[in-house]
Amino acid sequence: MADQRKSWRDRGLMLATLPVSALMLFFFLVPLGLTAALSFQSTKYYRVVWSWDTGTWIDVFTHGHYWSIMLQTITMALACVALCIIISLPVAYALVNRMRSVENHVKVLIVFAFLTDAVLKTFGWVLFLDRTGVMNGMLETIGFGPAATDILFNPGATLLGMVYNLLPYTIFTIYLSLARIDRDLVLAAYDAGASRLRTFWEVTLPLSRPGVIAGGVLVFVLSLGVFLESKVMGGGTSPMAAELIRQTFETRVNWPLGAALTLVVIAIGVLTLGGAGALFLHLNSRKGTA
Amino acid sequence: MTRDRLEGHLANIVLYGSVAGVLVFFYIPILTLILFSFSESRFLSFPIEALSLRWYGELFAANDFWPALRNSAVLASVSTVFATMFGIGGAIAWIRWRFRFQRFFQGLTFAPLLFPQLLLGVVMLLWFSVLGSWLDFSPGLWSAIIGHVVYITPFALVIIAVQVHGFDDTLEDAARDAGANRWQVFREITLPLIWPGVFSAAIFAFLLSWGNFYITYSLAGTARTLPTFVFSGIAVGSSPIYPALATLSFVPALLLVGLADVFRRRAAARRAAPPKSE
Repeated sequence: MADQRKSWRDRGLMLATLPVSALMLFFFLVPLGLTAALSFQSTKYYRVVWSWDTGTWIDVFTHGHYWSIMLQTITMALACVALCIIISLPVAYALVNRMRSVENHVKVLIVFAFLTDAVLKTFGWVLFLDRTGVMNGMLETIGFGPAATDILFNPGATLLGMVYNLLPYTIFTIYLSLARIDRDLVLAAYDAGASRLRTFWEVTLPLSRPGVIAGGVLVFVLSLGVFLESKVMGGGTSPMAAELIRQTFETRVNWPLGAALTLVVIAIGVLTLGGAGALFLHLNSRKGTA
Repeated sequence: MTRDRLEGHLANIVLYGSVAGVLVFFYIPILTLILFSFSESRFLSFPIEALSLRWYGELFAANDFWPALRNSAVLASVSTVFATMFGIGGAIAWIRWRFRFQRFFQGLTFAPLLFPQLLLGVVMLLWFSVLGSWLDFSPGLWSAIIGHVVYITPFALVIIAVQVHGFDDTLEDAARDAGANRWQVFREITLPLIWPGVFSAAIFAFLLSWGNFYITYSLAGTARTLPTFVFSGIAVGSSPIYPALATLSFVPALLLVGLADVFRRRAAARRAAPPKSE
């Protein structure tokens, strides 16, 4: 069947795996290693001095400022995850169970929006929400005063942009896990006299858990790297870790510090992934023994 | 009215409402940009007083526009070719073969997907700068291409892997029994069978690269693509040429996504009613 054992002497295997492995090793793993090494250097007159000490790390751990930005980034990321999951669940459920005939059209529309340039979409939000933008213009024509709302340039606007740009990830992961649910289980629950709501709560929702966890983790990790939304829509009112890292490299030209902060964010992401993986295994093993 | 029916009605409102709401949400900024691109005014404020194509003209006359467009096209085309090729090989190795270090290979080729793009860009920029100071070069469009391929290959791989997953290999066996060599089997049997996946992966790759901001921003040096051109513009203040640019840059995405949908539907129709001979 499908599983073909291959030896590393096999030419097909070499052709299929070696170029891409070389690319990832040389331009992904090696740079990560270099970043780790850089964080143990120091800087003098905007130049890296290969001093091999822990000065940068002591700096990172003793400055509360960096950690409060990390904490704020994590808070924003968690809020973004929660909103994405809450919005995606009914959408994915409706796509799988109610909208078979137009399902593909809706998916195409979502994919198109997802694949459109994020800078432009973020700019589009600014034009829509601005004090003289489309929303205030429409509110004015239906009788509200001029500039009735002022939504832009605060952390809420940043969050709106993040949810906007990351929502497709949760919609699609939850959609995939719901689409795999055996319809008979749901029908069996109806037969046993469960109401729709109860069936959703006790059958569908638990079965959608892999998609919810996968999508949530993906959105969390990706939100750690956001700065477009915080700069363009948040107007710099919500300093995010990525903005801090960008400034450290570009404005302060302190590479060791930038490398160390990058590693902190990566570590937060990796710990989250590890935690989610463990949770996944735990849930699976419980299912096995139940 | 029974409680169950009431629940059913409520559920329908929530479900259909959420899909409609999400679609409106996704298209608000896109439609806003299209609307403003036809405004006559220099100021991007609503309501729009007069319509015109004036800003399209101004955009075409802007000096930085054409190089940015060219860079975007080159970057997206080259990245697509490499990411799709790596995706095909990687997906087959992921799903169909078993070999030593397979876990490591899977992890290595999937990991960039789990990285925030900015961090991926920063980490690679550090490496390119170090390489550059040793070998005396500076980052440019080519380093952005490498960055895009690293970032996009996992997407292409996953999309093609889904297609490889439902693969029936009796045809390959038959071709091999009939005396075809491995390259012939791949070209005549394997590739046509996984073609829908390859095609959607290529489109996805092109558009991810075409609209990419973070990685280009980190790695392209002084070269500008459309997204970084827009970013540097709106960072200093909005200009009426950007909505026009946005509207134009939706066109390739619209064409490609539409094309992919046509192909998908034709493939689905063919699967539903297999032709007698081909």
